[in-house]
Amino acid sequence: MSEFQRFLAKRLAISIGLTLVAVSVIFVVLRLLPGSPFESLVTAGNLSQQQITEIRAMYGLDQPMWRQYLSYLQSILLFQFGYSILRSQPVWGVLAPRLVNTLILLVPALVTTAVLSSLLGMYVGWNRGSKLEKLSIIATTFLRSTPVFITGILFVIIFAYNLELVPAFGMRSISASPEGSVETFASLDFLHHYILPFTVSVLYYSGDFLLLARNGVVEKRGSEFLKLHRAKGLSEMQQLARAGRNSMLPILTYFALRLGMIFQGLILLEVVFGWPGIGRELVLAIQQQDYPLVQAAVFIMALAVIVANLVADVLYAYFDPTVSTSGGGVA
Amino acid sequence: MSTETKPEAELKKRVEGVAETLRDQFTFLRRDRLAFAGVVIVAAFVFLGLLGPALAPHDPIEYTVRDDAGSMLRLSEPTGTALFGTTAYGKDVLSQFLAGAQPTFIVGLFGGIGTGALGFLVGLVSGYYGGWVDEVLMRLTDLTFSLPFTPMALLLLTFVTPSVWLMTGIIVAFLWKMPARVVRSEVLSVRERTFVKSARASGASDLRTMLYHVAPNVLPIGFLYTAYGIAWAIAAQASLAFLGFGDPTVTSWGRMLRQVFESGNMRVAWWWVLPPALGIAAITTSVFLIGRAYEEVINPEIQTEQ
Repeated sequence: MSEFQRFLAKRLAISIGLTLVAVSVIFVVLRLLPGSPFESLVTAGNLSQQQITEIRAMYGLDQPMWRQYLSYLQSILLFQFGYSILRSQPVWGVLAPRLVNTLILLVPALVTTAVLSSLLGMYVGWNRGSKLEKLSIIATTFLRSTPVFITGILFVIIFAYNLELVPAFGMRSISASPEGSVETFASLDFLHHYILPFTVSVLYYSGDFLLLARNGVVEKRGSEFLKLHRAKGLSEMQQLARAGRNSMLPILTYFALRLGMIFQGLILLEVVFGWPGIGRELVLAIQQQDYPLVQAAVFIMALAVIVANLVADVLYAYFDPTVSTSGGGVA
Repeated sequence: MSTETKPEAELKKRVEGVAETLRDQFTFLRRDRLAFAGVVIVAAFVFLGLLGPALAPHDPIEYTVRDDAGSMLRLSEPTGTALFGTTAYGKDVLSQFLAGAQPTFIVGLFGGIGTGALGFLVGLVSGYYGGWVDEVLMRLTDLTFSLPFTPMALLLLTFVTPSVWLMTGIIVAFLWKMPARVVRSEVLSVRERTFVKSARASGASDLRTMLYHVAPNVLPIGFLYTAYGIAWAIAAQASLAFLGFGDPTVTSWGRMLRQVFESGNMRVAWWWVLPPALGIAAITTSVFLIGRAYEEVINPEIQTEQ
């Protein structure tokens, strides 16, 4: 086995281990803390004692804890999430469309911002000390440090309430009842609702990419290989292109990490804009104590981050030969 | 670096060194206009955080603003009686804003310090000892990265009654990973430097080497991440409160925003939205602006010719 394969195998094993631990933490948090999923139904007085016993048996809640844990592990790792308690629908049937809504909002936003703000970051890093650099740093610092729901609220007030350019809430007009994904997502009505949350997500994500790209180029500016390029007679822009290319790696891995975190949705953004994504659904499920839905949603989110972490690590090790693949850091 | 000096003298020297660094940073901050604006805003926020409730003209929850005829003033625009207007429930926005600064301040301050301190210690131990200690601690950070913060915090908060201190604890439990990783990678490079090796060679114990020789050299980055931790904690607390999982007995800026949003008055009541929204935005942005200026000093790699 080569060094790289060994590294790959080790990272893979760690990721699997992490998934198991994360799944167990979810189980512990959901089962061992006080409050049973049926308490709300029971206290509402809708169920007789016999019905309660039946339902408990149906969901396996009368089994000993370790047996519950094992069957939980088995089903969740096979993506069998069971039935949502309050919606009486398969959990997957509830979550899948919500996840699609989230991804359709955030993936294009992330790609857009990764390209645009990285380019801008490289440019201002090259022209260090310029007005544009100052301005872009203030703007992106504001956008990335302010909680996203505040940016969202401010944008809604300006563009939806005062200028009345776009709707403030939801993914489509109340009257619209599209069928099929093409009609849902490829319509002007959808685009009209899409533009504002999309813009806010682009702006929210922009700061990190801009600063990574800027710092990367600033670091490269004084380096030897650029002096060579200058001596060779390359123009400013050509030099910047070379400095930029050499600062791509952190941006690439950061992109991979962010892509994993996208599965969590931007909970607060989805709440403010009434966007029916996975994050908003999870908040509703938590408020309604819909445990099967909660555990499935949290599991999907955790898994996405673990996979993205793995991808980012492997990318880094693959592209940057100075990173030691034997596990330790570089001194 | 000799280890013959008395520990107290050594410590004193190091404390003085740290104080010197802080003075330098301050001088630097004064030269950076952005960062200095940040310092002014942070100072104003600290002032509000300490004295806000005392300055509030009315009780933020109990007191109801009434007009001359004695009927409740709902959703009144800013007037002489209520400088910042009133809420849909006839409460004084100015009083809520002033009182609401305090929980925001407490969670931010202690959440940030807790995050910085815990993260610093984990990063220091992990980076210094390496081996299985490092492996275990770093897998623990991976774990907290993979468990999504907001949902996990919401879950915990549904089972226990939220209080300001509980929120602080939850925030620290999820945010320490950020400084831990950065401090660890700094420690990894400091550990290999000659003065650390010579301290070890001259017989200093691991603990002593770690605390006296390695720690002071990564302290600046620890401070930087404590500052960021404060901004993150404020943002996290506001977000949780906005989702309705804050301490229901306490007025905070996040909770004010939740009430506007819930009551559906965002369209009209700009005077109710703007104070808490701009307050949170201003303080988190200021902390990061200061942090950025600071980072340019600490990170030697971006200190090229300007």
